[in-house]
Amino acid sequence: MNKELTVMMLTWEFPPRIIGGISSHVYHLSRSLVRNGVKVFVVTCDYHGAPPHEVIDGVEVFRVDSYKDPSPDFVTWVYLMNMNMQRKAAALVKKLDEKIDLFHAHDWLVANAGIGLKHVFRRPLLATIHATEVGRNGVQYENEKMIHETEYWLTYEAWRVICCSNFMVSHAKWAFGLPEDKLVMIQNGVDIREYEKNTIPDLSQFRRNFALPEEKIVLFVGRLVYEKGIHVLVDAIPKVLEKVNAKFVIVGNGYMKEHLSGLLDRMGLAHKTFFTGFVDCETLRSLQKSADVCVAPSLFEPFGIVALEAMAAKSPLVVSDTGGLSEIVEHDVTGVKVYPDNTDSLAWGITRVLLDENYANRLKNNAYRKVQENYNWDKISQRTKTVYETVSKERSRTIWT
Amino acid sequence: MRVIIFSWEFPPRRIGQLADYVMDLATQLVKNEVETYVVTCHDYYTGQSEEPEGVKTCRVTNPVRTHSGVLTWVLTLNQEVERAAANIYYDADKRVSLTDVHDWHFIPAAVTLKNAFNLPFIYSVESLEDHRSHNADSSFNMAIKSIEHLGMSEAERIVVKSEWMRDEVVKVFNVPSDKAKVILPDSARWIEGILETYQEVVEGVVE
Repeated sequence: MNKELTVMMLTWEFPPRIIGGISSHVYHLSRSLVRNGVKVFVVTCDYHGAPPHEVIDGVEVFRVDSYKDPSPDFVTWVYLMNMNMQRKAAALVKKLDEKIDLFHAHDWLVANAGIGLKHVFRRPLLATIHATEVGRNGVQYENEKMIHETEYWLTYEAWRVICCSNFMVSHAKWAFGLPEDKLVMIQNGVDIREYEKNTIPDLSQFRRNFALPEEKIVLFVGRLVYEKGIHVLVDAIPKVLEKVNAKFVIVGNGYMKEHLSGLLDRMGLAHKTFFTGFVDCETLRSLQKSADVCVAPSLFEPFGIVALEAMAAKSPLVVSDTGGLSEIVEHDVTGVKVYPDNTDSLAWGITRVLLDENYANRLKNNAYRKVQENYNWDKISQRTKTVYETVSKERSRTIWT
Repeated sequence: MRVIIFSWEFPPRRIGQLADYVMDLATQLVKNEVETYVVTCHDYYTGQSEEPEGVKTCRVTNPVRTHSGVLTWVLTLNQEVERAAANIYYDADKRVSLTDVHDWHFIPAAVTLKNAFNLPFIYSVESLEDHRSHNADSSFNMAIKSIEHLGMSEAERIVVKSEWMRDEVVKVFNVPSDKAKVILPDSARWIEGILETYQEVVEGVVE
């Protein structure tokens, strides 16, 4: 009887275009929503070699010209790209006889298009706020202010704002002055099946590319920037090495890389560390499966997807007690929590896991169960669908037609 | 006939001579029994109002206060222009004949409305970025020019105010010369020319 719920999702990245975490988030969420009976159209930026229209597991993906003429800076490019995106999306909605129930925008990068479509077609707009400019950089300079105000504008226009942790809910409430009942917490997810595939059959052979057989692997995955706390881990290395023989594998790039590798040289610890740079998904997952401990020493963390990935890869986990990480990990049950920005505490956490195999096994088994139960995309898309249904119902009771 | 005019200047907001031109145009249209709406902007004097001459106006303000220049300012203001225009459109039971867009600023909104509602638009050219910037080719100028280009290609008709401007439009944007129509603002048949063009656009649109 009920007509199928139809949503148009706007995102600046969708595979194969991968820049940050939104791409994989929208990929998993949209496919899972389709499995739960929601019709999903994704409108995203084009990418070399990817078709302008394709259907991926039932998701209708449309890639639009992402504005390739010169633009003065990133923010202006985003606005110009939105101009193109909105034009194509408007034509698409028209072609579909306006059979779209909701628009769902991911971050300020598609704010203009989402807001414009909302008013033109008079359909509710939902926004997922993945991170904020306040949290990323602070808002001091002109461009940062423009981004912050655009984020504010998006949350102002949105019928509901989805955040992926309780921490982000309260952060968004503070940063944008949002009322409580406009915010919804739906956590992020991880696809366990991707970790069950054995793309690299011999992990012990693979492991030798990164560490000696007698070395434990301590794995860090993340951008090498201040907020990720990588400098805290570097300071903790000598303290860990006093107790355990280990290799610290550091995956990712960032402005602190040169500084940190120079520092490690001078500390005489270059041979105990390995900066891999950016690696492909397959290598990353195999590394996470090979690690004896994964660490997330962040100082600011909206969610902490690397923690879920470690849990799905059955690697024991040490995180700093902050942001989304605090909510994902239960101390002594699914991982070890340490004080943020505290070298001694971090070194203690790492050695505790590395020196007690039974303890480490217990943590990773509990963590794996928790990920299966709470952080699977099926559950997340069901919650998202519930939000869609609520908003649709509220919309049907308005005179906004 | 029901027409929505987009202009980034309209009294009391005067930047150049466009404000008074658009006011004159809107007033003459009302006298000729065209229901005329003007969507424009103002920092604080916002919302719907009716001018003594019967012109209906809606002034919007920018939802984003910090900007690096006119380009970003324009690109976030367009969604508010769309909101105002959509409100007029729905309040009129979707019976709007066309939009008449003066200069490049609100071209993105007109293009969206065209794609969403099949609502045709006329691009009325006051000036071009090439002339304003003396052919500057920084990415800033080129981006503005690209919006003008979008307007030239998506508009149903281009209205220019001199033979010289028609030649420029044809030369710079490679539009067919019969798409650009010269209507001299100081001629006795000025408003007739505008009304004829509106009529052509309305009749030329296939639903």
